[in-house]
Amino acid sequence: MFDNRLFRPGGPVKPEEKDWPSFRGAINEAMREEMRRDPLVFQMGEDIALASPFGVTTGLAKEFGRERIRDAPCAEVAVVGAAVGAAMGGMRPIVEFQFGDFMSVAIDQLTHQAAMLRYLTGGQVSVPLVIRLPCGGGQGAGSQHSQSLYSWFAHVPGIKVLLPSTSMDAKAMMKAAIRDNNPVLFFEHKQLYRTRWPVPAEFRDADHVAEFGKAAVRREGVDITVVATLTMVHHALAAAEALAAEGVSVEVIDPRTLVPFDVDTLVASVRKTGRLLVVDEAYLNFGIQAEVIATVAERAFEALKAAPRRLGNPNVPVPFAPCLQDEVLPGRARIEAAIRQMMSR
Amino acid sequence: MRAMLLIRAVEKAWGDAYLTEEISGIPPSLSTGQEAIAAGACAALGDGDFVFTTHRGQAAQVARGLDPKRILAELYCRRTGYNKGKSYHVTDMTRGVVGMGGIVPAQVPIAGGMALAQKMRGTDRVSLAFFGDGASNEGAVHEAAALAAMWTLPLILLCENNRYCITQRDTDALKGPSIAARAAGYGLPGVVVDGTDPLAVQAAVAEAVARARAGGGATFIEAQCERLTGHLIHDTQPYRSREELESAWKHCPIFLFGERLERERILSADERARMNREIEAEVAGAVAHARTQPYPAIHEAYEDLWA
Ligand SMILES: Cc1ncc(C[n+]2csc(CCOP(=O)(O)OP(=O)(O)O)c2C)c(N)n1
Ligand SMILES: [Mg+2]
Repeated sequence: MFDNRLFRPGGPVKPEEKDWPSFRGAINEAMREEMRRDPLVFQMGEDIALASPFGVTTGLAKEFGRERIRDAPCAEVAVVGAAVGAAMGGMRPIVEFQFGDFMSVAIDQLTHQAAMLRYLTGGQVSVPLVIRLPCGGGQGAGSQHSQSLYSWFAHVPGIKVLLPSTSMDAKAMMKAAIRDNNPVLFFEHKQLYRTRWPVPAEFRDADHVAEFGKAAVRREGVDITVVATLTMVHHALAAAEALAAEGVSVEVIDPRTLVPFDVDTLVASVRKTGRLLVVDEAYLNFGIQAEVIATVAERAFEALKAAPRRLGNPNVPVPFAPCLQDEVLPGRARIEAAIRQMMSR
Repeated sequence: MRAMLLIRAVEKAWGDAYLTEEISGIPPSLSTGQEAIAAGACAALGDGDFVFTTHRGQAAQVARGLDPKRILAELYCRRTGYNKGKSYHVTDMTRGVVGMGGIVPAQVPIAGGMALAQKMRGTDRVSLAFFGDGASNEGAVHEAAALAAMWTLPLILLCENNRYCITQRDTDALKGPSIAARAAGYGLPGVVVDGTDPLAVQAAVAEAVARARAGGGATFIEAQCERLTGHLIHDTQPYRSREELESAWKHCPIFLFGERLERERILSADERARMNREIEAEVAGAVAHARTQPYPAIHEAYEDLWA
């Protein structure tokens, strides 16, 4: 299913891709359908009515009006807080951050308030909200606009964390997020926005929603398991394709949701392959990669034929200069090299 | 006048480099229409004072006397740029220019801390934070202002009200008479000044500087102007009407100040044109310089994280 779509950002759309929904369009469609279905769903964010930076909300203000597509001031603490309060008051807010990095500004409202209020009130309130966080590097946008910070939020209890990697998942997961009764973070990798993906028939089904905690086996293989998220799924698939020619059979697992996490699919895969490589753009220190490896170490240690490995950002800010940026982000070439090395042992 | 022309020329070179795809990445954020604020404010500061800049920081860098060669080298992602290719928020600590702006308006509380350090170390240096009208709605500004008032910090909060926060008109978000009117709530002097007039800005900042140096604490200044170009260079401002943009251009500070200097027989149109030609030649030289500079070596990605 993989071709070079991801590696030619801004390049021409091939004729056969014309009918495939774009990643960005899939999110837009999911929000549109859910806003039509449920009048309590509304959105807040900077510039979302007129021109949001990545255009994901395009056209929504026209259909739903400025009351339901609310342009917010530059005041993230107030906006996230307003989402929490509105959610407690029976609304179903969606908040757009222009860059997910800015979530840092409003972390208290999310992690201590949204995430804990249900628990602290003994189950009296629910906080159904979705926060959309564009993430990831590769656009030369500098250190504070290029990060993948989901490990921060998966670390604390009470927040669901979603990492869609295809148009189908983006749509079904967004719809499920809006219908969920808990705080949900929806990470959108900026390099995926313009990509287009073939979709199954249920893409057009307005009632089709994703089930959280179900990993996708994107490619089956027997020699090594590669766990990857977001764009790294596609980098891993490209690496797997290249290595197949060398006789290495790579299984690629896309967890899709970090919270809840599908341990069973992961463990079953490693029991089959005996090798594990985890690839993510997140900082390596105490991150998602370590969590996946720890889970396997606890649950399938005896199945491991080699020490697990992880690729990620080697704990430096993503630099502005493209040549330095490319150095600190993992990708297809590094995945291939790591797999070759693990297979040669 | 020279500073304003130089700002515009440096930014034009940056914008052109992006539009001709010589550089890529996040599109340039120009301060076209706001040049008088940086030029006026920096003229009121002394060596050793600090300015903290925004995502639209090139104006203050130039006005503070930074070398256009090294500014452009940074914008061209070269290792001889001020920040060695790490960030286009150009910083030169030797000139007291701290480049920030990735997170709006994180520089304001930090400028407060720099003011605190000056106060505690017994210098008479002041710290000036630029921030925008949109940024003024962030909690960080309110908290910094409250702290500066409580501790009588030598801080100047300089709000550049260019009428827009990306697509949002200032009056959509601001329901008070002005942004500076909020100063009263913090117990700080608040001043509204014409941000298209470099001399007016200079006078307002000079007064704030004198107050701060004398131990009188912080001042909140709102300099009003028009953002003449898009938020970032690829933004064609479809959310503004043609009439609005046309009338905004009547507030171009370079045009207005040029006219005034002519009227007052200080600088003739010919002299201004000559000045501009010199500046354009200087900037062309800086661009040529930047183009020849080396990119950072790969291992530099891992340098400078720890002190
Ligand atoms: C915390 C945070 N929120 C939002 C942004 C996105 N953003 C970058 S510039 C900008 C506009 C700020 O407007 P204003 O303060 O008026 O400055 P101007 O762009 O007009 O110079 C916004 C919202 C950001 N960088 N950081
Ligand atoms: Mg503004």
